[in-house]
Amino acid sequence: MDDSISNGQCQLIDKVINKGICVTCGACVGLCPYFDYFDGRVVVMDRCTSDTWRCLQICPRADYDETSLDKIIKKQDQISEIGSFKKIFMARSSQEEISKMAQYGGVVSTLLIYAIEKGFIESAIMTAKGGDVSPAGTIAKDRSDILNCAGSRYNASGGLAALNRAIKGDKERLAVVGLPCQMEALARMGLMEPDGAERVSRVNLKIGLFCTWALDYRQLNDYLKNVGLEEPIKKYDIPPPPSQVFLVLTEKGWREFPLDDIRPLIQKGCALCDDMTAEHADISVGSVEGLEGWNTVVVRSQKGEEIMTAAVEDNHIQIDNLPKENFDHLKEASLNKREKSRIATEEMKRRES
Amino acid sequence: MNPIVQRSGGINVLLQGNEAIARGALEGGVVFCAAYPGNPSSEILETLAEASQKLPIYVEWSVNEKVALEAATAASFAHCRAMVSMKQNGVNVISDFLTNLTLSGTKGGLVLVSCDDPSGISSTNEEDARLFAKLADIPLLEPATPQEALEMTRWSFQLSENIENIVMIRSVSRLSHTRSNVLLGDLPDFRPTPHFDLDSAFHTFPVVEKHKTRHQKLDQAAEMFEDSPFNHYQGPHKPELLVISSGCAWTYIDEALAILGLLDRVGVLKLGTTWPIPKKFLKKHLTLCDRILFVEDVDPFLEENVKALAADLGKEIGVKEFLGKSSGHMPHCGEQSPHILLNLFADIFGIDYGKRAYRERLTPIIKEMVPAREFGFSPGCPHRGTYYAIKTALAWDNRDGFVSGDIGCYTMGIWPTGFNQVKSVHAMGSGSGLASGYGKLEQFGFNQPVITVCGDSTFFHAAIPALINAKFNQSDILLLILDNSATAMTGFQPHPGTGSTAMGSEADPVDIDALCRSLGVCVELADPYDMENTAKTIYRLMKEKGPRVLILKRKCAIVEGREGKFPYSLNVDQELCLGEQCGCGRYCTRIFRCPGLIWDNSNGKARIDEVICVGCGICANICPQEAIVKENVEG
Amino acid sequence: MSFNLIITGVGGQGNVLASQIVGRAAVNRGLRVTVGETFGLSQRGGPVMSHIRLSRESNCAPLIPPNMAHVILGLEPLETLRILMEYGNEDTIFIVNSRPIYPLNVIAGDVEYPDKEQIRSVLAESGQRVFWLEATQMALELGEPILLNMIMLGALSALPDFPLDAGDFRNALKDIFPESKLEVNFRALDMGASLIKEDED
Repeated sequence: MDDSISNGQCQLIDKVINKGICVTCGACVGLCPYFDYFDGRVVVMDRCTSDTWRCLQICPRADYDETSLDKIIKKQDQISEIGSFKKIFMARSSQEEISKMAQYGGVVSTLLIYAIEKGFIESAIMTAKGGDVSPAGTIAKDRSDILNCAGSRYNASGGLAALNRAIKGDKERLAVVGLPCQMEALARMGLMEPDGAERVSRVNLKIGLFCTWALDYRQLNDYLKNVGLEEPIKKYDIPPPPSQVFLVLTEKGWREFPLDDIRPLIQKGCALCDDMTAEHADISVGSVEGLEGWNTVVVRSQKGEEIMTAAVEDNHIQIDNLPKENFDHLKEASLNKREKSRIATEEMKRRES
Repeated sequence: MNPIVQRSGGINVLLQGNEAIARGALEGGVVFCAAYPGNPSSEILETLAEASQKLPIYVEWSVNEKVALEAATAASFAHCRAMVSMKQNGVNVISDFLTNLTLSGTKGGLVLVSCDDPSGISSTNEEDARLFAKLADIPLLEPATPQEALEMTRWSFQLSENIENIVMIRSVSRLSHTRSNVLLGDLPDFRPTPHFDLDSAFHTFPVVEKHKTRHQKLDQAAEMFEDSPFNHYQGPHKPELLVISSGCAWTYIDEALAILGLLDRVGVLKLGTTWPIPKKFLKKHLTLCDRILFVEDVDPFLEENVKALAADLGKEIGVKEFLGKSSGHMPHCGEQSPHILLNLFADIFGIDYGKRAYRERLTPIIKEMVPAREFGFSPGCPHRGTYYAIKTALAWDNRDGFVSGDIGCYTMGIWPTGFNQVKSVHAMGSGSGLASGYGKLEQFGFNQPVITVCGDSTFFHAAIPALINAKFNQSDILLLILDNSATAMTGFQPHPGTGSTAMGSEADPVDIDALCRSLGVCVELADPYDMENTAKTIYRLMKEKGPRVLILKRKCAIVEGREGKFPYSLNVDQELCLGEQCGCGRYCTRIFRCPGLIWDNSNGKARIDEVICVGCGICANICPQEAIVKENVEG
Repeated sequence: MSFNLIITGVGGQGNVLASQIVGRAAVNRGLRVTVGETFGLSQRGGPVMSHIRLSRESNCAPLIPPNMAHVILGLEPLETLRILMEYGNEDTIFIVNSRPIYPLNVIAGDVEYPDKEQIRSVLAESGQRVFWLEATQMALELGEPILLNMIMLGALSALPDFPLDAGDFRNALKDIFPESKLEVNFRALDMGASLIKEDED
């Protein structure tokens, strides 16, 4: 191995992987054989000697050319604490089957099923349950695929690896569902030389999920094993404050763990992230605090607006105004995350100099 | 007619040093031969095994050198003539039995042949096995030519019977693998009458008495060596320099002296009996000259023994100047060569020698133009698949895991052909022993996973005790047994798992799987050609505790190639191949590195070399673009 | 005085067999022969070098002294160049097979294989004469790449100053190969010899 090579992969390894701040978005997985996602982690398989640096360009945790991102955040109707957006409201699925299985309002599943049925897209890139699925991410083609993936994830599970796989295959249009880091990776991918624009041209719909932090899959697994939980996990949940617990659903029922035990398992890279509401998505979706069965929905782009409007008019989705209180809380939470990110980033820079 | 089994002698044939040793043993009346394969010694037993088809002798490949010597010794105890042969590392393996055997003594002529490998050309070390002769008081003979190898071997059985002790013959690669004219002697009638005397005392007690007896035996041999035809002097009455030499290295001296015109100024004393050294013979020649140079291979064995003698004789022979390894005139390491000798003689005598200008002109050119030739696994080798699976599993695991290696073709895991996975290699079975130790370090906070690899032949030779140790001491070891049904590196000699013996009879193969299970350890099976699933199995097993064995079963590609054909023909789709572009970066040729895949500079793509590729098809699974296509071949 | 011949190549090219044939042929002619082999991990892609020393008087040592090779028979160009400085001299005759066997590290892109024309010219500058033969191609035409070593031996036999001739090699082959294999091997010898004769004319 030529030690004098300091190419994109080397920098990605130095700046992100070896620093432990990879958030397992999976964007770099499947571009080439040198990275892989396995058992909850993005791992380096071999060293490459390429000069093109695609992996470094798209990594949301690498600081490669930050200014280019400004090009893609178009100044929409409102720019604010939650990024640029057109509309914000509450929504829920009109279909009973979906709302029964949904975490909150079932909006994501409904939108995707609708988009496939109406021909906006042919497949959706999602994250299947569990962080140890290999290969990472799922290419969902129909209703049952999509419903299989319903439910919250507490990490990105390398989901974008499925996008890289899909792009190799049939020339169909895709939707991508992901966490804010994955939405950012997609935005970077659009600017990636040499073939980024071509790759993202296939993505017709980006649905981002609100996210405060994500958990390290392997550490979570070790923790759960240590507390005697070995069965497969069906669902996770974090009830809103004042609750301080982390809930896990298995076939044996719900189990509760102190949130304080879980916080050390948060991915280090999440501390550096300033995006709670997935500001690079077409549509961002989260829960509604204090109100079960509904989603908060932020429509950011024209594409997002089109599909959302259609779904509502076709009675697949029911919407309502978001209470001011909730919107204020959301803004506050988003600002909080930005502030924490700013502090963590400065801290990291200070430690390095 | 194979000259090795020719009854009557008197003919002149081209024989390899090892073949000459085999023929010499037959002429000496050997009936029981045992060995374990090891370069450069393997041809000795191979030749005898072939001879056993025509002559009434017994020949076996033993499970290791220690058992080989023990088995041969049984023949000796029963008054039959026996011989064992091995490389220098084998002498290390037999040392415990050997040092006791020389105390108990022997009956039928028993000969130990050690073929050392100066410069370690095919070995893990460079070692001088002659030192064992001194350690255990064994008479030692060093042949210099194939002719001498035959004659010494033939004579050594008689010597052994005269003193009732084992006799050692020491060859080196340069002799063992050299062919030259050899005059054959006659073969005897092989009519052994084995019987064990019940008043034999083949034990070592009382120890001190037996030790004294051993010294007496050595003195007996020393007497015989005084007028041995294997020692002689050639040169002027009063040489300016006396060279004392033994073994193959001696053959370089004459030519070097002739080239430099020093034949009438330098005397050469050749010793063929180098332990015990013939003191009277040496004394006579040490008085010829005050400047003495030692030429021998590997350690300053002759040098130090003769210097000790000279110290004892100091008052009589005067003070001498000794040149050799201690004085820095000879290199400490690496094999002897004509080059070294020519430079040294030219230096000592101030002669301007050598094609200096020629060499100087070429040095920078060669340095710039000539890359080293990297060693690698053959095309289709299952070890490539194994190491790829290991590399994948360790990368997935991401805790700086590594491989503790062992001896065989798979030793090459230390190099890029095995993806540099192996971090240590020492002796037969030592990879597992080390792993047994690593497996107990967790209590100190060690969390790097360790995988140990071991071939099937190596497993039988030496690794079983380490596995039992791991079970006994509850060590967390993951042992991968690479079962390719062969002792491949040394030339495909049979072993307990292959199903046949040296003499060609069928043998019930020892089942490695059943053996390991009987120890109560977890045993699983995998196919190294299926790299993805093998990697997943390794990954899973790495997380478990206690001793775990994974048997990677797939025939050696060379054996498979001889027995049948591989099922596929391979082709690289030039449209799909990305070559050097981001997304591939020459993954197949640069990382996977099978010689069947070559890089076409003219179009920047990979392609298959049909002459080299055997058609195993495993490379088809590693291309990120799925550009490597495999098709079934007919038949 | 001995005639010093080196056969050099890569493991698997039949180097050792070729040197055995020369050895046998020489013994049959009543010559004193020593054949020294250097093979380590040759089976695993490494270099193989045989030193063949022919003499009327006595058996020589198995290694040729520095810069004293009379003929270097190179089964592979890089291996021929590799030993040039150590064993070549201004009078050396080189018979070289022009087809490379790329080392693994070249195939992998770590190092480059030297330019063949450059190898040829370095050899030409450093000896008496270079015969640069498309012997692998010829072997493929005959149907078996392994016939390379026979073709090269045939070329060797056609050298005017070499003490053995094609007949000597044929006789040696009869001792080694079964009847069925002799035909194609004899043809290979002839073809190799013709390459030298063409070059001479």
